[in-house]
Amino acid sequence: MKKTHIALIVVIAILIGAMITAINDSSSYADFAEAFDNPEAEFHVVGKLNRDKDMTYDPQNNPDEFMFYMMDMNNREQKVVLHKSKPQDFERSEQIVLIGQAKGDAFHAHEILMKCPSKYTEGEVTAEASTNT
Amino acid sequence: MIYPGENLVIGQIGNIFTVVAFAGSFLSMVAYFMAEKTQDEGYLRLGRIGFLTHSLAVVGMVSTLFFMIFNQYFEYHYIWQHSNTEMPMKYIFSCFWEGIEGSFMIWTFWHVILGLILYRSVREWEAPVMSVISAVQFFMLSMLLGVVFFDYKLGSNPFTMLLREHPDFSALPIFENPNYTDAIDGRGLNPLLQNYWMVIHPPFVLFGYATAIIPFAYAIAGLLRKQFIEWVKPALSWTFFGIGVLGIGVLMGGAWAYESLSFGGFWAWDPVENASLVPWLTMVGAGHLMLIQRKKGVSVFSLFLLTTITFCLVQYASFLTKSGVLGDTSVHSFTDLGMTGQLVVSLLFFCFLSIYLIAVNFKKFPSQESEESITSREFWMFVSSLIMFVAAFIISFSTSFPVINKLFGTNLATSGERIDYYNQWITPFAIITALLLAIGQFLKYTKTDMKMFWKNLAISGLVSATITISIAIIMEMRNPIYISLLFTSSLAATSNTAYWILFLKGKMKAASASIAHIGFGLLLLGVLISTTQSEVISSNTSLYDISVLGDDFSNNENILLMQDDTLIMGDFFVSYRGKKEEDNFIHYEVEYMQPNKEGKLEKQFTLYPFLQLNPRMGNVAEPYTKHYLHKDIYTHISYAELEDRDEKATSEEHSIGIGDTIFTKTSFMIFDSLDRKATEKFTGIGANDLAIGAHFTLYDVNTQAHELTPLFVLQNREFPMTVSDSIPEAGIRLSFEGIDPEKESFNFRVVEEAPKFNDFIVMKAIVFPGINILWIGCIIMGLGSFLAVWQRIRRK
Repeated sequence: MKKTHIALIVVIAILIGAMITAINDSSSYADFAEAFDNPEAEFHVVGKLNRDKDMTYDPQNNPDEFMFYMMDMNNREQKVVLHKSKPQDFERSEQIVLIGQAKGDAFHAHEILMKCPSKYTEGEVTAEASTNT
Repeated sequence: MIYPGENLVIGQIGNIFTVVAFAGSFLSMVAYFMAEKTQDEGYLRLGRIGFLTHSLAVVGMVSTLFFMIFNQYFEYHYIWQHSNTEMPMKYIFSCFWEGIEGSFMIWTFWHVILGLILYRSVREWEAPVMSVISAVQFFMLSMLLGVVFFDYKLGSNPFTMLLREHPDFSALPIFENPNYTDAIDGRGLNPLLQNYWMVIHPPFVLFGYATAIIPFAYAIAGLLRKQFIEWVKPALSWTFFGIGVLGIGVLMGGAWAYESLSFGGFWAWDPVENASLVPWLTMVGAGHLMLIQRKKGVSVFSLFLLTTITFCLVQYASFLTKSGVLGDTSVHSFTDLGMTGQLVVSLLFFCFLSIYLIAVNFKKFPSQESEESITSREFWMFVSSLIMFVAAFIISFSTSFPVINKLFGTNLATSGERIDYYNQWITPFAIITALLLAIGQFLKYTKTDMKMFWKNLAISGLVSATITISIAIIMEMRNPIYISLLFTSSLAATSNTAYWILFLKGKMKAASASIAHIGFGLLLLGVLISTTQSEVISSNTSLYDISVLGDDFSNNENILLMQDDTLIMGDFFVSYRGKKEEDNFIHYEVEYMQPNKEGKLEKQFTLYPFLQLNPRMGNVAEPYTKHYLHKDIYTHISYAELEDRDEKATSEEHSIGIGDTIFTKTSFMIFDSLDRKATEKFTGIGANDLAIGAHFTLYDVNTQAHELTPLFVLQNREFPMTVSDSIPEAGIRLSFEGIDPEKESFNFRVVEEAPKFNDFIVMKAIVFPGINILWIGCIIMGLGSFLAVWQRIRRK
C-alpha cells in the first residue's frame, strides 16, 4: 500500500469523524415547548414579536438587557430576555430567530437574528412626483 | 391603456440580446461538441461563430442593462427595484449586481471575457474546452430567459418584467395614470450596499468564481479525450490566476464587513462568506496538485476530484445564495425568485457529469510508477492539498445545515456563537497548514537530505520562537492552541522569507511561491492576533451583574453615554458630544481623550459612528474606526433613540401666602413679598388701573437665583388682567391670577416646559490589535499568486 493511499484513508476517516462530531455538536431549531422542557440547553427558536405587549429597554440601567414577548410558531408566548442592546429597528421585524436557553420563566437569548420586511412589501411603489419633473 | 412615457424599445433590444446569447451558447456547445466527435473543421468554425455571436450578445445585454439604469427607466421592475433618482452616480454599478439577474449577467460576462481569451490560445484543446464553457453559459443564460414553458417560468429576465405587469404591483392605482412614468421613483439600493467596497467586491468575487470554469473545462476535456495528464499544463497558470483573484475577492468581502457592517469583525462565517471561501480552498488544493503533477506526477484521481469539485462548489455557492434556501441563517442572501429548481438542475448536471466521467475512466487512470518518499516535497504538498479539501468539506458541511434540514427534515443548527463554532473547527487545520507552508520550500522533490533540512530551518525556527514568546508574553496569550498557531504562522512567514533571501538570493524569478506563502503566513498571524486579542472596551455601566446567569451571558459589551458626560473606556475617556443629521445619515460625535502629563484630559481624536436611515429597508448602524499602525479602535452605535421625546409642558395652579414656596420638577421659588409699586414698572397702566406685583426668587437646577415679578392688574379697578413673567433658562412661566381676600391667599399658575431630554447613545467599541498584519498578508499573497502566473506566461 502506498503512502498516498494511507493519506486518503486518513482523510476519509477524519471526514467521517468530523461529520459525526459536527452533528453531535450542533444545536437545533425548536419551539418554546421543547426549549422549556430542556432548560439550560441551547436552542434556536423562531417566532414573531408580540407587538401588543410592552418591550422593556432601559439603557441607562443596563444597555445590554432588553425584554420583550415573543410568540413561537405554535403561538406559544414567552417572555424573552435578550442580553444585548435593543436591535435598531426591532419593531419592524417580521420574524425573529433567538439563540439561547430557557431559564426560569423566561427565554434568555444571547444572539438574535431578525428578518426585516422583505423587498416585496405590497404597495410600496412611491407615487410622489420625482424631483426631475 | 397606452402609456406614452414607457420606453418599451430598450427592453425589446435587451430581450433580443438575451435570446441571441442563449441560442449562441447552445449552437456553440453543440457545434464544438460535434467538432470534437467528428474532428470536422466545419463544426469547429460553426462553434466559433456560435461563441462569438454569444459573446457579442452578452456584451449587448450588459450594456443595455447599464443604459437602462443610467437613464432610470423605472417602468422596468429591475430598475425600479434596485435604483432611484436620489442615488449617487458612483453606486450605479452596485445597482447592476444587487439583483440575481444582474449578478448572473456579470458572471456570464466574465465567462465571455475568459472564453474570448481562451479560444485564441487553447489551440488543440479548443473544441472540448469551448464546448464545456458554452454548456455552462447555456445553463446560466437559461436563468436569464424569463420564458414560460408549460406553466414553468424559466429564469427571470430584467428586460421583460415591467413594474405594472409584476403580480405584486399590477393592481396599484398609479397605473391608471397613463403618464405614471413621470411620477414614479425607484425603490433604491439597500443601504448596506451603498459602500465603495460593494462597487468592487461583488464583480471581483464573481470574476474569481468565473475563473474556476477554465481548470474545470480543461479537466473535462482531459477526461473526454482520455488524456489524463496533458491538460494540466495549460490549466495550471489559470488555476493560480483564479486563486489570486478569488482570494482577493473573498478578503475584499471581509474588508467590506469590517468597514461597514456592525457585527464587529471582518469574518462572521456567514453562509455567504463560507460559500465563497470553500471553492478557494479546493482551488488552492487543485493548484498544488497540478504543480506536483508537472514535476513528479500525482494521483490523477485526486487531481480530477479537486479540480471538478472546485467548479461544483462554485455552482453550489451560487445555489446557496440565490435559491433562498439559507432563509433565516444568513443576513445577506437573495430572496427566492423561484429559480431553485433550475439552480439545482444546473448544479446536479455538472456534478454528475464530473462523477460520471471520473467513474468511467477510473480504471484507465495511470498509476504512479514510484513510491514517494516521506521526506519528499511532493508528498507533503499532496498532504496539504488534502488538508485544504478536508477543511473545505468541514466548512461546507456545517454551512449546509439548512440544506440538510430541508432534505432530511432534521433540525440542525450550529451551536453557540457561530464565529466561535467555526473558529474552533478550523484552527487545527490552520496550524497544520502553516507548518507545512513553513517546511515545504526546504523539502526537495523526490528526497531531502534531512541534515541540511534541519540546518536550514534552524534559523527561522529560532526567530519565530522568539517572536512567539515575546508576543505571547506581551499579549498575555496562554491558550496552547493559539500559541501553536502563533508559532507555526510566524514560522511560515520567516522560513519562506529565509528561503527567498538565502536560496533565491532575493531574486523575483521563481520567488512566487515564497512570496505567496509569506503572505499566507502573515494573514494567519493577523487573523490570530486580531481575533483572539480583540478586546471589547465598552463595558456595561449598570450595577446589575448579568454574568450570574451563566457563561453565555457575560457579554457586557455596550456603554451608555449621556450627552457631554465623560466616562472611562479602556485606555480612553470618552464623551458623546452630539449628533449631526446629514441627508439620511445621523453622525454621532464621540470624542476620545487621554490624560496628559499635567493630569488634564486632552482630546486625542473624534470618531463619528453613524446610522443610515432608510425608511424602506430599515436603519443600519455603520461603524467608524480609528486606524493605528499596530491596532484599530472600532466603534459602532448599538442603540440610539431616533424620535425626540414628545413631552408636553405642564400647567399647575397654586394658592399660597407670602413666604411660601412653590416646587416644580427642576426648581423651586419663594414668594418673597408683594410689590405695590408695580404700577410704575408697567407702562401700559392707566391712571385708574390698579396693579400688584408678586415678587419671587427662583432657584434653578444649578441653584442659580433668578427674580420674577408677575403682575395682577385690575383695569379701571374692575377687569382683571395678568402679566406673566418667565425665566426661559429654567423653563418656567409664572402668572399671578388672583387674590382670595377671605383665605388671605394669592393664586398663581406655573407653566413648566418639559425638562430638556438628555440625549444618549449606546455604543460598542472593540480594539483589534495587529489587524494590519492581516491586510498586508492578504496583499502579499495576492502579489505572489499573480507573480506565479506572470512567470509561467513568460516562460512560455
